[in-house]
Amino acid sequence: MQANKPENFYQNVKDALAQPDLKMIIRRTTDKAEAKRAEAIANFPGFENARKQGQKVKDHTIKYMDHYLAEFEKNALAQGTIIHWASTAEEASKIVLDICRQHEAKKVTRSKSMLGEEIGLSHALDNSGIERVETDLAEHIIQLAGDPPSHIVWPAMHRSREDVIKLFREYHKDPTYSEEIIDLVRSARRDLRTKFLTADIGISGSNFLLADSGSSCTVTNEGNAELTITPPKVHIVTAGIEKLVPSMAHAIPLLRLLTRSATGSEITQYITFHNGAKRPNDADGPEECHMVLVDNGRTKMLADGMEEMLRCIRCGACMNHCVVYKHIGGHAYGSVYPGPMGSVLTPHLNSLEVANKQTHACTLNGRCEEVCPVNIPLPKLLRSLRAQSWDKKYEPLTNRFVVKAFAALAKRPMLFQWVSSCGVIFMKLCSRKGWIRSMPLAGGWTRNRDLIEPESKTFMQQYKAMKKAKSDGA
Amino acid sequence: MSQEIINADVKGAQSNAIKCLNISEKKVGLFVTCLVNTMRPSVGFAAIKLLEDAGCTVDVPESQSCCGQPAFNSGDDEGTRQIAYQTIKQFETFDYVVVPSGSCAAMIKKNFVEVLKDQPEWLARAEHLASITHELLSFLVDVCDFEPSGVELEGSYTYHDSCSGYRSLHVYEQPRKMLANVKGLDHRPLHGHSECCGFGGTFCVKYSDISNEIVAEKAENVLATEADYLLGGDMGCLMNMAGKLNREGHKEIEALHTAEVLAGLAPQILGGKNASK
Amino acid sequence: MNKQRNEISRERIFDAIRAAAPTVTADVKAIQAEAADILRESEFARPDLLADDAADALVQRIEAGLVIGTSCEQIATMDALPNAVDQFLAKYALPKALQVQRIERLQKLNWGSLSTEVDIKNDNTVGLCWAEYGIAETGTFVVHSGPDMPILLNYLPLYLIAVVPRSKILPYMDDYALIANEIAQRGETPRNMCLISGVSGTTDIEGVLIQGAHGPEVLHMIIVEDQ
Repeated sequence: MQANKPENFYQNVKDALAQPDLKMIIRRTTDKAEAKRAEAIANFPGFENARKQGQKVKDHTIKYMDHYLAEFEKNALAQGTIIHWASTAEEASKIVLDICRQHEAKKVTRSKSMLGEEIGLSHALDNSGIERVETDLAEHIIQLAGDPPSHIVWPAMHRSREDVIKLFREYHKDPTYSEEIIDLVRSARRDLRTKFLTADIGISGSNFLLADSGSSCTVTNEGNAELTITPPKVHIVTAGIEKLVPSMAHAIPLLRLLTRSATGSEITQYITFHNGAKRPNDADGPEECHMVLVDNGRTKMLADGMEEMLRCIRCGACMNHCVVYKHIGGHAYGSVYPGPMGSVLTPHLNSLEVANKQTHACTLNGRCEEVCPVNIPLPKLLRSLRAQSWDKKYEPLTNRFVVKAFAALAKRPMLFQWVSSCGVIFMKLCSRKGWIRSMPLAGGWTRNRDLIEPESKTFMQQYKAMKKAKSDGA
Repeated sequence: MSQEIINADVKGAQSNAIKCLNISEKKVGLFVTCLVNTMRPSVGFAAIKLLEDAGCTVDVPESQSCCGQPAFNSGDDEGTRQIAYQTIKQFETFDYVVVPSGSCAAMIKKNFVEVLKDQPEWLARAEHLASITHELLSFLVDVCDFEPSGVELEGSYTYHDSCSGYRSLHVYEQPRKMLANVKGLDHRPLHGHSECCGFGGTFCVKYSDISNEIVAEKAENVLATEADYLLGGDMGCLMNMAGKLNREGHKEIEALHTAEVLAGLAPQILGGKNASK
Repeated sequence: MNKQRNEISRERIFDAIRAAAPTVTADVKAIQAEAADILRESEFARPDLLADDAADALVQRIEAGLVIGTSCEQIATMDALPNAVDQFLAKYALPKALQVQRIERLQKLNWGSLSTEVDIKNDNTVGLCWAEYGIAETGTFVVHSGPDMPILLNYLPLYLIAVVPRSKILPYMDDYALIANEIAQRGETPRNMCLISGVSGTTDIEGVLIQGAHGPEVLHMIIVEDQ
C-alpha cells in the first residue's frame, strides 16, 4: 500500500470512507482500547493527580529544555554514548545510515519507533540496500505488506488475520499452515529469532531520555526492544529532543499514565533503561552506543507557542477516542502521526500549507483533550493552527468568502436579523411536510440529512410582535 | 405516535416563581443564538418562560446576532473580534447572560477572551461578560435552584450531551435533574451519550461525509434506546441528529430541546406540525 | 562522524531553544528545587497497593491475575529452590533442563537431576534468573546487566523463573528510582536496568492477546524468604 500524501487529504478521506470494512477494522482496536482505558482509570483514583504531575514534569523539562539537553548530553557522553545532533529528518536518517555504513552493516533490527518513521528511516535503510528487520510484530506485518503505519500504538491495526496469514505464508521461512492467531505469532517468533541474534546493528527509539544519567528508556509489551538492542555490536537510539525528563523518578509518573492511556494496562511488560554501551566484563550487550537527538520541527513548535504539544508521550488515546479518526482511520491523514495529535504535529514536521486541511477535520468536541494523559489542549492547538492558516490564506477561497461574509453580517445585528428573516422565508419555500430535503447553497447539509422546517417567523420577529402587542394592549 | 403534552400546571409554575423571587430578582439578558432565532424560536420562548418561572426578569436585546463560532472555528480571529465587540456591548450590563446552547455559551465564556487577549480594555470586558454568562439549563439549576413542577409528558426520553456543554461547561446532571420532575417521562440512557454527534458547526458542511458517518452511528445508538424523545441542549446537534433520523425514515422519535419540554411549551408551538402528522 | 556538521546542528538546536524561551533561568539550584517539588506529588498520584506489606502486595497482585502470564510461589530458603523448579517443570511437562544464571548463590545449590546449562538460543527453553528487586505496584522484578547477568536470559526462553528475595521487594516504582539514583551516585550504573512485569505479549493481530511473542510465554516468580 502506497503512503497517502497529507496534501491529498480530501481524496484520502473519500478513499477511506469508500472502504467497506474500514470502520469495523478500526473499531475492533479502538473500542477495546477505549473500554480498557476507562477501566484502568476507574481503578486508579489518583489518576487526576497523576495527570497533573505528569503535565508538570513535561512542562518543567520543556521550560528548561536547554539546561536538561546539555545535562543529558554531558551524562550520556560520560557513559560512553556517542551523541549526534540532527536538525532535520534527512540529517537524522543520514547519520543513522552513515553509522551503518561505517560498520559495514548488512542487517539491522529495529524496534518500533515513531520517530524512526518520522525521519523516514525505513525508506532510507531500504534504499541503501541494508536488510531492515522490523521486530515489533505490528511493524513486522506492515513491513511485509509494504504499508505505512495506521496508528501510533497499533501500526498494523488495519490488517486482518486473513492478511497476516497470507503475508506470513509468503514470507516466513518456516510458515504455519494454521489460521490460529497464536500459531501466527509463533511463526513470527521463529522467523525473527534468528534475525535478532544475527543482526549487525540494533536500532531503537526511546520513550524517555533521562537527563541526570544520560539514559534512554524503552517501553514494550513484546520485549523486542531488548532483543533488538542486546545481541548486535552497535546500538543506535533515535529520539526526539522532547523525550527528555529530569530523571528516572520523573519518568515514573509518565509511565503510570502512558500504559493506562495507551492500552489500558496498568503497566507494560518491559520497561528498560539503557545506559550506554556494554561494560568491560558484561555478559552481553552492544559494544558501541550511538544516540541521534532529533529536532525536526520541535524547536519551531517551541517558538510558535505550540510547546504544549511537546508534552505528548505518544499514547494514542486521542486517536482512540476521536470520532473522525474512528471513521477515516490513520492512513487518510497522510502522515506518520494521525488523529488529533497528528493533526497538530504534522504541520510542524511537514508544513502548514500541506497539512492544514487536517486541522479542520475535527469537530472540536474536546474528547481528545479530555483523555490526554498530559492535558494537551488539542482542540485549542488545532484552532490556533486554523488561525495561522487563515492568516496565511491557505483556506479554499470559497470557505474564506463564506466565513468573511458571515462575520461581516454578524457584526451588524440589525442587518443580520433581516437576513435571518429572509433566510426563513427562503427555507419555508424549500420545505415540505416539516422538512427540507434539499436546498440551494445547503448541499453540505442536505446531501446526507434533512433540515427541519423553521417556523414562519424568526424568534426576533415573533418577540418584537409580542412585545408590541403587549405594549399596545397596555 | 402519541405525544400528548400537557401544559405546565399554572399553580406549580407560580409557586416556583414565588420561591425563586425571594432569592433573586435577577436581570437576565437572553442571548437567543442564530439557530434558535431562525430554526426553532420556540426554544427561545421556552427559555424566557423557564427563566421567568425561576424568578428572573428577562430581556432580549434586539440588536444581537451570532456568538461568532463560525468565524472563530475557521480561524478568522479578526472577524471573531468584531462580533465579540458588539456582543460585549449589548450584554455586559446584565446581571446574567443566559444562552440556550452549550456551544454558544462556551464561545462567549471561553473564547472571547482568547481572541481579545492582546487588547487589555476589551479583555477585561470580555472577562466580565464571561463571568456572567451561563448555559440555560445549568443556570436554572446552579444559579436559580429551579425545579420545574406540574409539567407532564408521557413517554421516554434519551439524552445527548452536546460536547461544549458537557466538556467545557460541565452540563450533565442539571438537565437530568430537572427532567426527573417531569411527570410521565422516563429516561433511557444513551450509549455514547457524550460522544460527538458529528455536527461541529462548519465541520458538518466542510466534511459532510465524515460528519454523516458519525451522525449515522449516533442515530443507531439513539434508535437503540427506543425512546420517544431525543433531548439535548444544543440546536445544532439536535438538528443534525433529527435530520439524519428523518432522512433515514425514522419518525418514531422526535428531537426536542430540553427547554421546550421543561417549559411545557412544546405543544403550542408544534401544534400545527403534530396535527399534520 | 562528521564533527563539524554535528557541531553546527547542535548549536542550531540550542540557539533555537534559547531564542524560543528567552527567559531561561541559569540558576541550576532553582531548577533542581522545582524538579524535586514535582516529585513530592507522587504520594498522591499513584495507585493503592493491594496490601500494606510490599511483598504481600506483590503476591496478591500476581494471584489476582493482574500480571500477564505470571504465577508465583513463596519459599522459605534457597535450598528449597531446586525442588520448586522441578515442580514447575513437571507442571508444564518440560524436560528437566534449564539455563540457570551463573551466579554463585544459584550455582551452589543442589540441582540434583536437573541440567542447568541449556542453550537459550534454541526456542522452547527454560531460564532462571536472580532478580535484584521486586516492585509491588506493578508486579515487577528487576534485573541489572552485568558480568553474571546476560540480559538475553530474560528474553529468549519460553519459560522464565525469576527468584526474588522478599527483602528486596519495594512498594512503588518510585522506590526503585531512588535506589537507581543511589547506584548512580556510586558510579555503578549497569548498562541495562530491566523492569519486567509479566510475559512477552502482543495484541497486534486483531487485538487478541497472545503470550510468548518473542520472549517468555510463562513467567513464574519465586519469592524467597531468606537468602
